[in-house]
Amino acid sequence: MKRYNNIFNKMLLLLLVAFSFGCTEDYLDKTEEYNIDSENYFNSEEDYYNALIGVYDILQSTYVNVLLGEIASDNTVSGGESANDVIGFQQIDEMTHTPVNDNLDDVWDWNFAGIQRANYILEYQDKTDFEGRETIIAEARFLRAYFTFELLKWFGPIPIKEGDERFILGDENSVPRAPVDQVYTQIENDLQFAIENLDYTAPQVGRATKGAAMALLGKAHLYQEEFDQAADVLIELINNGPYALTDFDTLFLQEGENSIESVFEVQYTGEEGAGFGCLQCSEGNVAVGFQGIRNYSGPVFEPGFSFNLPTQETYDIFDENDIRRDLSVLDIEAWAEETGATYAEGYKHTGYFNRKYLPRKNDNVGDANLTQPNNYRAIRFADVLLMAAEALNRGGIDDSQARTYLNEVLDRAGLEPVEASGNALTEIIYEERRKELVGEGHRFFDLVRTGRAAENIEGFTAGKNEVFPIPLEEIEFSQGNWEQNPGY
Amino acid sequence: MNRILVLILFCIGTFSLQAQTSISGTVVEADTELPLPGVNIIVKNTSNGVVTDFDGNYIIDDVSVGDVLVYSYVGFLPQEITIQENQEVIDVSLEPDSEALEEVVVIGYGTQKRKDITGAVSVVSNETIEELNPIKVEQALQGTAAGVNVTSTSGAPGAGININIRGIASNSVNGPLVLIDGYKGDLSTLNPNAIESISVLKDAQAAIYGIAGANGVVLVTTKSGKRNTAPTVRYDTYVGIQETSRKLPLLNATEYALLLNESYANNGQQLPFPDVSELGRGTNFQDAVFDTSPIMSHNLSLSGGSEKVTYSFGASHLDQEGIIGAEKSDFQRSTVRFNIGVDISDEFKFTANSIYTSLNRRSINENGLGSVLFNALNIPPTFALDQEDLDGILGNEIINPLSQIENTFNDYNLNKFNGSFSLDYTPIEELTFTSRIGYSLSNSKGKDFSPIIDYGPGKVFNSVRSMVNQNRINDNSYTYDLFGTYENTFADTHHLTGTAGMTVIREWGDGLYATGYDVPNNSWDFADISLTTGTNDGLNNSAYKYDIRKLSFFGRLQYDYKGKYLVSGMLRRDASTRFGPENRVGYFPSATAGWILSEENFLEDSDVVSFLKLRGSYGILGNDEAGGAEFYRSLLNGEATYVLGGNLINGTALGRIANPASGWEEAEKTNIGLDLRLFNNKLDITVDVFREDRNDLLVAGIPVSGIFGGGAPGSGAPTINAGTTRNEGVEFAINYKQNIGEDISFGIGYNATFLRNEVTQVNGTDFLPGGQFGVGQPQPARFEEGFPIGYFYGYRTNGIFQNQEEVDAHPSQESLGAVASPGDIRFEDINGDGVINTDDRTYIGDPIPGATMGVNLNFNYKNFDFTAYTYASLGKDMVRNYERNQPNVNRHAYYLERWTGPGTSTEVPRLTTGATSNVVFSDFYVEDASYARIQNVQLGYSLPKSFLEKTGISRLRIYTSVQNLYTFTNYKGFDPAASTGEAIGGGIDYGFYPVPRIFLAGLNLNF
Repeated sequence: MKRYNNIFNKMLLLLLVAFSFGCTEDYLDKTEEYNIDSENYFNSEEDYYNALIGVYDILQSTYVNVLLGEIASDNTVSGGESANDVIGFQQIDEMTHTPVNDNLDDVWDWNFAGIQRANYILEYQDKTDFEGRETIIAEARFLRAYFTFELLKWFGPIPIKEGDERFILGDENSVPRAPVDQVYTQIENDLQFAIENLDYTAPQVGRATKGAAMALLGKAHLYQEEFDQAADVLIELINNGPYALTDFDTLFLQEGENSIESVFEVQYTGEEGAGFGCLQCSEGNVAVGFQGIRNYSGPVFEPGFSFNLPTQETYDIFDENDIRRDLSVLDIEAWAEETGATYAEGYKHTGYFNRKYLPRKNDNVGDANLTQPNNYRAIRFADVLLMAAEALNRGGIDDSQARTYLNEVLDRAGLEPVEASGNALTEIIYEERRKELVGEGHRFFDLVRTGRAAENIEGFTAGKNEVFPIPLEEIEFSQGNWEQNPGY
Repeated sequence: MNRILVLILFCIGTFSLQAQTSISGTVVEADTELPLPGVNIIVKNTSNGVVTDFDGNYIIDDVSVGDVLVYSYVGFLPQEITIQENQEVIDVSLEPDSEALEEVVVIGYGTQKRKDITGAVSVVSNETIEELNPIKVEQALQGTAAGVNVTSTSGAPGAGININIRGIASNSVNGPLVLIDGYKGDLSTLNPNAIESISVLKDAQAAIYGIAGANGVVLVTTKSGKRNTAPTVRYDTYVGIQETSRKLPLLNATEYALLLNESYANNGQQLPFPDVSELGRGTNFQDAVFDTSPIMSHNLSLSGGSEKVTYSFGASHLDQEGIIGAEKSDFQRSTVRFNIGVDISDEFKFTANSIYTSLNRRSINENGLGSVLFNALNIPPTFALDQEDLDGILGNEIINPLSQIENTFNDYNLNKFNGSFSLDYTPIEELTFTSRIGYSLSNSKGKDFSPIIDYGPGKVFNSVRSMVNQNRINDNSYTYDLFGTYENTFADTHHLTGTAGMTVIREWGDGLYATGYDVPNNSWDFADISLTTGTNDGLNNSAYKYDIRKLSFFGRLQYDYKGKYLVSGMLRRDASTRFGPENRVGYFPSATAGWILSEENFLEDSDVVSFLKLRGSYGILGNDEAGGAEFYRSLLNGEATYVLGGNLINGTALGRIANPASGWEEAEKTNIGLDLRLFNNKLDITVDVFREDRNDLLVAGIPVSGIFGGGAPGSGAPTINAGTTRNEGVEFAINYKQNIGEDISFGIGYNATFLRNEVTQVNGTDFLPGGQFGVGQPQPARFEEGFPIGYFYGYRTNGIFQNQEEVDAHPSQESLGAVASPGDIRFEDINGDGVINTDDRTYIGDPIPGATMGVNLNFNYKNFDFTAYTYASLGKDMVRNYERNQPNVNRHAYYLERWTGPGTSTEVPRLTTGATSNVVFSDFYVEDASYARIQNVQLGYSLPKSFLEKTGISRLRIYTSVQNLYTFTNYKGFDPAASTGEAIGGGIDYGFYPVPRIFLAGLNLNF
């Protein structure tokens, strides 16, 4: 019996050891790795700055807005390899797009990702104080406005989260699509804050400035046809900002990047590789490779995928002595004849390419099609001048001042000044806007906001195609919370 | 107390001194008459014992008339013989334990006699492994264990192999939990020769492994020495040659040119080959890409044991070259292992085993757009072997596959050390405590080099700057078990086993990746970051870390009454740090029951039924694995890189979207089974009917609304408990064995699994898409309620438009990309709305086989042995995705049967370079990939004993075998058996690296 007692004691000891080791659930909490997660960040200026870089990063994925926006317009056709090459581009070119469209889904996903990253900073804006915090908050709000405005242009009413917070799982079923004016209010508030807290010169080239915020605010007012407000902010920018028109010859070359004409410019580089698995991860301008000349071999340019081809009509709208024509649209046949270059004809070949954003010879790393370093001149001073002219003219404020701004742009193009006023002037401003900004992704939205889309874009259905459909999966995720745009 | 017993026995021995004698004899195997070395002979109830020598001979002294000699040897029925008056020689022939009912099966935290098992378990023995002679362990489970489906991701040496037990239930991690001698391990690094047995727990019995046991559990026992056996050395080797099991019929140069002319003409374009007369057959790129390559394996082991110590040592080396790119896709595996068991005292037993594995692997670009085989199929036969596509007529991905192989440089090396130490403490006979720690340490390094290369304009593989990527990955884990087992029989009828204990698992590791630019001399010889000189503004390095911990407590009670009525119950409590603190803990209960009818009076004396058992089980098992270390919080590992001031600046961004609410995935398993043995155990039948409902399925990367920012670089979709799936089916196994006379024996086995798989619920979204088809097309596979997991979703075809009237009579197909013309595919208007558009897509195929089966034969005649293993997988579909939709590529020969005018074809559409909707994902691209494969045929010859007598060799067998001899299938691609293993999008074929056909000659030597 004594022996068994002894054993019993041993067993007890063993169990005690076992459970004193095992039962401490602390064991599960001792995982030290990566203790900095999303909820215990923002402890220093550096944390805020690093998070801000994360918001800027998303700007690079807006290449799809530019490319797709241009294809949607009457400036270009889809192109590519065949009728089935990037079906989403093809359908938008034909205006046969439906809620099932991968590329539209990219526009939705990527711009919302920008908003989410901006809101991540804004959610924690008061956590840690440091000198210069307002600048970072102002930039975050500028970027939120930029992405929000893009989404508004593409989809109309969109869900917005009140109170500077991120969306959390479940919001898709409860946060409604805010009406357009409510979205504009948020955009305007953000930009106003940015104007008040930013300078005309940024601490680093590429970051948002007071001027960028003013230009975007003017644009937002112009889109709402609030001409007085648009004119006010744009004229103030023209008068007080550091911007001027530069030489059109070099404007879209490497040397023309971040020039004095650049009000806001999305920065790209070819120094980091990229792959098709994650186009939005590229540090290069993916749109540039996509609109490159198919199988091109020759001087100056690099080959690409021959999307987004300017039409004959686009080429023909330019006056022969308009220096912008051949700097904006490349006549490939003439070029091949002149230089001996060779190329292949892809789908919907027009003989023209978007010269402003063609891949040019450079030492970008692979996949070279996806890492072209061409910066996107998102807001140029010429655009600001034309917007100001339009606001002054259409708002009936001052045609003479409108002409002054317009003529600055014409003069740079090597054209004679105009004398027109009233509606005639409006038409000229519209036309000049198209010519000046061809290939830059603005045309479709300019046509829509001025009610001229149906008459200019083949296949455009008024009352439907002004906005694009909400991606089908988003409608499904929302489980009835978001309604599809009319007509889709 | 034991010492006293020994003393008493010794005294008894002394008393009977007068009548002492000695007995000698030979022990042989009953079937073969071959001598059995190492048989234990013991005088019953004494410690007096001996072991037979190499020739099966023995002499035992100090025995007396009336003593009972017990002859025992693993795998044979023990025999007892009472010593008679004047007897001096006793020759014994031991019958093999054909019933195998007494065989001990590892069931998790213990073993059980096969007779008493109440769960569904398949066992693969070392004999089966020897007969199949697999290169990798996983292959030994294919066609040998009912309910286990093995698919390889590639025929490349060392490529990954997926195991699914009773179907695919989850959309992320579907592989079973693998435990090697009790610790969490990895089959892919094991040497098949080191394995004693593999048990596969398929039903709720695996609930004792509640954590991660939901996908089934594979228990591997490695070889150990046997007590009281002389040292045995064993050497096994084989050499062989490998060739591709298949080449695809493609167009030759003349056919290619004619068809290309036709497709250009159909689009009103100039003919690319106005004169085809000189083209002939052109280049056969497949012949150039596929090699005949060698394979070789050596395996050496030493094992044995004394009364208190058992030992086993082994070493092996495998060297396999690829059938594509030879040494550019080769594989070497070297292993060293030991296994030692020591009885420290009557109360303490210690066992230790460890395996060291070193792997080397090189690989070529496989199974993707622009992979080597994809290019070999698409490059025109009019190209010369060394010709690049300098005119860029083949699009951006297709390049010369031979130069692609030539410019492929990579190397992967893994060193792994794992094993376990275990201490058993038996304070009293009925009670054993086991403390066991299993460990695994692995380090790998990888390197790949991309030289400066130009394959032609716009090619995605072009590289203007040489670059070398290197990585170091370090993965560690330990599994600590502490449990006690109490086993006792009360009143001779109530047999009770209780087990309780705990398990702690920790898995941790890190990885480091770096890139160097500008490799000296643009050469692999100098491809190391230490020699690179270039710089780059981007992030050239990255790293990660993880630390996952799990803590579990469990208890199990097993009870049987008179060995006839068996019940067991288990409960397990698991906690895993993959979940947030509130959702960490899960409880997993299960119960099993069995009734051995053959022990009842009404069957006891049956001549027909030797054994009959009914059994059932029900239980809930958990799964916390769905990719990624944690689901509940967002890490700051998103990509945040932007250009400011002309420089790349790196910042911080949110990683994958967090889901604080994620919790355990649960598998609810029900199984009813029957084990039946007839005609004196000659016929052995096992039937199981099962159902598994997988609830709260952890779906990794479930698409959620874009508003959460999952589309941002480095972010991603969260892991959500988002669905329910059901797998139900029947497993059936039948084995028959018979001896005919003394010289002939044979066995035949058949096993089959019939499976139905369905997604019963998806939360939050209508479906999850997966896979890729063509370029820029919607994802072709779906996970959707009411359909099999990963079913193919596209257009259903209805023949070919033969003329314009038929086109006009059919709803417009324009929205698919082009207005239809005669010769185009006619798609069905599924929703009947008078127009063919994306809404007309529907179910067009299922990648999961409805039935899998194996037929295994063995036949022995005198010293010859013959085995054949075959495997079939029926009712599954694959997607033909190795055809690049480009105007100038080569094509599969079935295009010779294309539509060229009314009545010419109802299956293959016309060729045109113009816009066509024939390329959209439809059932034209989905093929029945059912197949039957002769996996292994082996013929062996063992040299007769008389011949070996003087050499000291106890066994010498030579054999020859062919693996993957032939595959019966209608599938057009390289390998109908291949799958990437993805639950959604698994059966999509970009030109799978086919399994090699291997001709082997081998030798087994024991001495």
